[in-house]
Amino acid sequence: MDFSFNEEQEMLQKSASEFLENECSKKFVRAMEEDEKGYSPELWKRMAELGWMGLVLPEEYGGMGSNFLTLVSLLEEVGRVLLPGPFVPTVVYSSLPILYYGTEEQKKEFLPKIADGNLIMTLALTEPNERLDEAGVETIATRSNNDYIVSGTKLFVPDAHIADWLLCVAKVDEGITLFLVDAKSPGVNCTLLKTLASDKQCEVILDKVKVPARNILGKPGIGWEVVSRIREWGAVAQCALILGCLQQVLEMTVDYTKERVQFDRPIGSFQAVQHQCVDMLMDIDGVKFTTHEAAWKLSQELPATMEVSMAKAWASDASRKVCLLGHKIQGGVAIMEDHDMQLYFRRAKAMELTFGDGDFHREIVAKELGLR
Amino acid sequence: MDFGFLPEEEKFRKEVREFFETDGAVEGMKKETDSGQGFGPYTWEVLGKLGSRGWLTPTWPKEYGGLELPDIYRYIVMEEMDYFTHLAALVGAGMAGHVILHRGSEEQKQEYLPKISKGKIEFALGYTEPEAGSDLANLAIKAEDKGDYFLMNGQKMFNTASHYAHYHWLGAKTEIVKPKHRGISLFIVDFKTPGITIHTMRTMAGLLTNEVFYDNVKVPKECLVGEKNRGFYYIMEALDYERIYTISRIKSELDQLVEYAKSSGKGKDPIIRQKLAQLNIEAEIARLSALRIPWMLDRKISPSSEAAMLKVVFAELDQRIVNTGLQILGPLGQLREDSKWAQLKGEFEYRYTRSLQDLITRGTCEVMKNIVATRGLGLPAR
Repeated sequence: MDFSFNEEQEMLQKSASEFLENECSKKFVRAMEEDEKGYSPELWKRMAELGWMGLVLPEEYGGMGSNFLTLVSLLEEVGRVLLPGPFVPTVVYSSLPILYYGTEEQKKEFLPKIADGNLIMTLALTEPNERLDEAGVETIATRSNNDYIVSGTKLFVPDAHIADWLLCVAKVDEGITLFLVDAKSPGVNCTLLKTLASDKQCEVILDKVKVPARNILGKPGIGWEVVSRIREWGAVAQCALILGCLQQVLEMTVDYTKERVQFDRPIGSFQAVQHQCVDMLMDIDGVKFTTHEAAWKLSQELPATMEVSMAKAWASDASRKVCLLGHKIQGGVAIMEDHDMQLYFRRAKAMELTFGDGDFHREIVAKELGLR
Repeated sequence: MDFGFLPEEEKFRKEVREFFETDGAVEGMKKETDSGQGFGPYTWEVLGKLGSRGWLTPTWPKEYGGLELPDIYRYIVMEEMDYFTHLAALVGAGMAGHVILHRGSEEQKQEYLPKISKGKIEFALGYTEPEAGSDLANLAIKAEDKGDYFLMNGQKMFNTASHYAHYHWLGAKTEIVKPKHRGISLFIVDFKTPGITIHTMRTMAGLLTNEVFYDNVKVPKECLVGEKNRGFYYIMEALDYERIYTISRIKSELDQLVEYAKSSGKGKDPIIRQKLAQLNIEAEIARLSALRIPWMLDRKISPSSEAAMLKVVFAELDQRIVNTGLQILGPLGQLREDSKWAQLKGEFEYRYTRSLQDLITRGTCEVMKNIVATRGLGLPAR
């Protein structure tokens, strides 16, 4: 039993935290909410130079050869500062599936470019039916000689408007299949959605998009297995972001209660306030335990369906509860637009909804317990 | 980071589990624990056998009967003991002994530690009084220094185990000072000392606890633990150890509930599915919260805030499990063990009343949150 990160992970967290504190100010986060692109290509380049894009990729593809748990240690810092941009879609939702399921040609083609920061990718999974199961995939790809013709509508595709390539989930005769789709292909129509968190989620309409058969990820018919794996990586990545985000919220809140004086004493000396702060800490501890356990299992390549869903169920609810308490304790000033708390509050909701909320994951846990 | 156990830890657990699975006295010990009456012959028999293997005090030095193993081994024994016998903690081996080891005189170590380690003696915590519950520093029992002995007068309350333990682990007032906690000392008092009267009380769940009266009791000087007037600090130290919980018993209750939901068909109900899933998530968090304590102790980090949090996590989870259990069982859940229609042997009827004690004993959840707020988060006390 060991609850701490190893030396490599601790050093990475420390250097990432210093880097992001300088490079990702709240001013930058606010600017990116307004910005059309929603990320800074210059910062992206610097992150790539630090090795972040290829952190979990093997050295032969230009990566650093670290494991998933190390990536999680980095994502906690990314979540803490609310770093905007396509980091998680590119690294977690795209580079990992290519690494684990792609053909050798695909790995050689895509992974080094991702590692170098020269390729932005995202996952086009969800559709207007908003289902997260296999039956939710209605996008169809039909064979035509050496190509497939892909048609359908994808929703909540993160950062699709700036992505070079899409990893698109569709149905073919053999079953669910993932396609590597060049985002510049004729028939790919991308529209930014206006969201609560002002993050960059898109509608992507695929109108008879021609995709070469060699761009099937791995082989036809294995798509649902790949999606299930992406859902696990993705859910844990969201948990790690939530963890960093909530730790920052607790720090802000506790600092405030030590300084804010009412009734001639700091409000942090009132038990009503203290106990709410402790409730926040306990919820965050739960996120930490379950997220680290799930991430550890994933990096050991152990079955982790139960642990992943436990983590995402808890983190999803905690993200809402902790932010709400942060708001209640910090009072009127914190709901003002120029206060940082509102950035965390809005972003937490987006993370809660990504890859399934609490109810969704509790149902998975129930199934894993054998309840049917 | 590693969420598994080392092979040697697994091997140790297997040995311990095999003992509990095969020993003839274990079932009797469980009945004694569940009866709430205290240690009976089966309990003493099992404790003696555990003691002879060094398992009651695996972290202690060998000269006092220990095995010089890390705290995780202590956790493993407690987890198995909690699961198989429902006894979750020992005062001598779990709390008092640690303080004697770190603060006691050489004579005290020689006298008590080997007997604790062998499972031959037990202590009763002597902290609470009628006017000193959450406000422990307000305890009033008086210990007057008479040169070669202390003269003690006063009353203790809810001192569970006093009716079968050999020694009282007594907090008493040795000086009237401010702040009050600087006038408290800690004593080991033999319950056979003349002038002590024990009055046993029953909770609604049938658990026995006691009032203990001291009437001009002469306690020899060498019964003082550590320095005079430092007792409150030792009590706090001991509390950190005391708050080591394992969740194996309450997890086994949750497992029974999940099995019941499956076999009764109630597990098809989405509301029940959500509730049982949530409880299992909370149980996993509680298990990891519990494991964090020995992990910290093994790294010489004081777990006082974490141990306080664990108490809250444990007690509140226990409440939710019994409450959800009775919701799922419906009207059948109120039936006692010997009723014709009783479900799960009336377990949840019993636990519903029994579990309240865990919210209160050894520090209420609210007092625990005060500790976390001030020590863990650094919030101002006033």
